[in-house]
Parts: sequence; C-alpha cells; structure tokens
Amino acid sequence: MTAVDPVSVEGRLRSFQAITDAALSRLDDRDLLAELLDRTREILRADTAAVLLLDFSSGHLIATAAAGLEEEVRQGVRIPVGRGFAGQIAAQHQPVILDRVDHTTVLNPILWAKGIQSLMGVPMVAGGKVIGVLHVGSLTHRKFTAGDLELLQLTAGRAAAAVQSMTAQADRVAATALQHSLVPSALPAVAGAELAARYVPGTGALGGDWYDVFTLPSGELGVTVGDVAGSGLAAAVIMGRMRSALRAYALDSTDPAEVLGKLDRKMQHFEPDALATVLYAVIEPGLGQMHVALAGHFPPVIARPGEAAVLADVRPGSMIGMGLQARRPVSTLPVPPGALLCFYTDGLVERRGEVIDDGLDRLCRAVTAEPAEAACAAVMAALVGNEPARDDIALLMVRRQAGKEGDADA
Amino acid sequence: MPDLSFRVEMAGDVPVVVTPEDIDITNAAAFRTALLEAAGRSRTFVVDMSRTQFCDTAGIHALVAAHKQAGGDGGDIRLVVTSAPVLRIFAITGFDQAISSFSRLDQALATP
Repeated sequence: MTAVDPVSVEGRLRSFQAITDAALSRLDDRDLLAELLDRTREILRADTAAVLLLDFSSGHLIATAAAGLEEEVRQGVRIPVGRGFAGQIAAQHQPVILDRVDHTTVLNPILWAKGIQSLMGVPMVAGGKVIGVLHVGSLTHRKFTAGDLELLQLTAGRAAAAVQSMTAQADRVAATALQHSLVPSALPAVAGAELAARYVPGTGALGGDWYDVFTLPSGELGVTVGDVAGSGLAAAVIMGRMRSALRAYALDSTDPAEVLGKLDRKMQHFEPDALATVLYAVIEPGLGQMHVALAGHFPPVIARPGEAAVLADVRPGSMIGMGLQARRPVSTLPVPPGALLCFYTDGLVERRGEVIDDGLDRLCRAVTAEPAEAACAAVMAALVGNEPARDDIALLMVRRQAGKEGDADA
Repeated sequence: MPDLSFRVEMAGDVPVVVTPEDIDITNAAAFRTALLEAAGRSRTFVVDMSRTQFCDTAGIHALVAAHKQAGGDGGDIRLVVTSAPVLRIFAITGFDQAISSFSRLDQALATP
C-alpha cells in the first residue's frame, strides 16, 4: 500500500472541510453539488469529477452534476446498478479504482471518449444506504493513493448528507403540493344534497388519505374515501394514481364492487407493493338509495332523522393490494330525507391504547342528522378537539335534504 | 415504556416471530426486518401475535408484503391472534380472508 503523507493529507482535509462547511450552508442544490465537485477536482488535482444519484424506483444511477465532464449530465447518462464502473460501486458499496478506461471496464462511452485514463469512484452513503456514486478522473495515467481515496470518501460523505437533506426537504414540499392539488377543496353542487368535508394532515409524515365526490353522467353521485398505507411523497403519488384510476372506472360502471375490483387489478399489476383501504359508494339520482362496497375500509356512519347514528351494516371486503381476487360484497342502504352519511378515514377514530370500537362509538355519538357543515364541525370537535392527530384525517359528509326535494317514496 | 421489539424464536424447525403489544408506524420497520429474518430461515413460519393489542395498517402492510413474498416462494405464513381488537381490524380490512390464523401457537405449529 502506498505510504500516505499525513501532513499533506491533513492540510488538504482541513481546507476541504472548511470549504464544504461553507458550501453546505447554501440552499441551492445544483450549485451545492457543482461547488463540491469543483473543490474535489481541485484538491485531488483531477480533471473530472461527477456525481450520479440513485433513482430507487428504476434502480439506475443518474448523472446529476459534473465538473469537467458536463456531457454526462447533459446527455442524461443512466447506469443500472451492478453494471459498469459506477454501477459496480453502488452494488458492492465499495470503492473502485481503474487504471484502464475503455469499453471493457466502463459502461459509459463518454468516459473514454473524453480521454480519461484513470478513474476513482466511491459510494455515497446516507442512513446506511447507497444513494449515489462520486467519481473523479484523470486525463493522464495516474495512480490514485490511499490518501486520495480517503479524501474522496470524506467528500462523498458530505455530499451524501447534503443530498439527503435536500431530497427530504424537496419531498416534503412536493408531497404537500401534490396533496393540495389532489384533495379537492371545492365540493360539487348537487341538487337535493348538502356536502361538507374536512382534510387534516397528520403530525407525522404526510400520508395518503383522500376523499373524492363527483357526479356521474347518468346522474348518480360517486363518493370515495381512501387511505394509502405508507407516508410521504411515495404515498401521495400512489394516492393520486388511485384517485385517477377510480374516477376512470367509475365512469364505466355504477357497480361499486366492479369499480373497486378493477382498481385492485390495476394496482396489483402496476404497483404490486401498494396497499390501501378504499370505500366507494354510488348514491342514486334523487339520493334515496346508496350502494356501497368496501376494500378494507370502515363502513360509513348513517344518521337518520330522529334516530341515533349507527355504523351502516356493510359487509367487509379485502384491501386494495392484498392479492385476493374475490368480488367484494355490495350493500344497499336506504337514505331517507334528512339523513346524513358520514365517510371518514381511520385517523379520525383510531387512538393508541384504545379498542377501535370506542372510537367508532364516539363517532356515532357525535353524528346527528343536521346540516352537513355543522355536522362536520361537531364531529371534528368531539373526536379531535385540541389534540393533534398523528395520522391524516379525511372526513366527508353527504346529507339528503329534507322537504320538497326529498323523494316521496323514501 | 412498553417493549415494542420483535423477536424471532425457533419452535423446532419453524421460526416464530413474536410481536409486541403495539404495532404501528413507529415499529413497522422492525416488524419487516423480523419477518425477513424468519423468511430467511424458512419459507413457512408463524407470527405469534397473542401479545398484540393494537395493530394498525402499517403492521398489516408489513404482514401483507411478507405474506405475498412467502406465497411466491411456495411457503406460508400462519398467524396466532387472540385479542379482539386485532381480530376486528383483520376482519374490517379483509386480511382474515388472506391468511390463516389460529387462536393458539400449538395449533399454528401443528398444521403441516
């Protein structure tokens, strides 16, 4: 092993650390990586430096920033993990030093087209996982030393931490923006019905709860409430896809079990790891009857005028993504004039250290057949009060108006 | 402070994942790890949930993923579930249709 000159390495380390600390205080992501790479190239006296970041969903390393090798980024270089120089580094979690750069040793032709003779690369690790690769190259033959490798690994550590925090922040912002765009704030106007809703994100990472309500071409009212397992941007993305797919299938069939079945089939095929609970209900024009199917979701609460609110008697069906094929049962409930239907996600009724029935009872006691907006307020006051809920809460109320608009044969 | 950790024990050749009182988002990752460990030892294994009083969708998610994986490998997961709240959640989510569950560990182990 080559002897390392401690003085020169330490000197370089100190100056490098000073620079990266200053660089890390800046917020702009691309500039940060570009600056790190410039300094890396300078301190290691290399001709090129590049960062590839791992895209987890595709398993590809994507060239994200480069100094002296901008072509990698501009030409959209993607390297599968396990293949080529960078891919091997990512797969093995180990540095690689190459003395020969050609089609037998690297996958990316830009590297040898550039005239790079020697390459040194290290994995970028954050939270115990490889999130990317950092490499430097020389246009003349060079033996990278143990000191060079150590410096590069230090730089990679800093870069990984910076990328991680940028990504987490970006994800949070993106997830929030996505949620805001998907969970509707304006409810449709429906003759003879009052609609009201609440959506409260939990204090934990953003979840995948949603509600949706829409009129169908044949005059029915479609009502969805759902909860994607997981949290953060990934759950919000899945939620958006499910909401969209369900709407499409709802246009083709007023049978809620068929709609949920198709949704389940689509998710199982395209996103086999996704899991969600969903309720889909179709309320007939005139609002006298509701057909509802459940995919692992809690049944709605129904409050008929003059009666205590109860959990609707709806048979359970399996969650979306569970891998079962059986058709879910559909339950049909009469909705008399003045009755209120309450749809919700488990964040409203689940409390740690409590049996679920207690939460459901509390909900039933809080729901009365009053105007929808007031009913929403009453439920939120009784079940949430001043306690921050850890889980998301989605709540949707649909009330069939009493009086002339109500159907005579209810 | 309740113990929220998972253990993997061996009952003869069969791994048994023993779950704590609560399973939720805070320990779901540890649950997945324990399930992976059991699956690494045998395609068919038992999850003993007799101590568990609360299991939310994070826990079910971990179980479903493990269950699908086991099925794909030609194996099976068997649950021991005794508490009413957990049975309720499994019934509501339809999970009880997907997986075999028993009320006693010896029953779960006895099935070939």
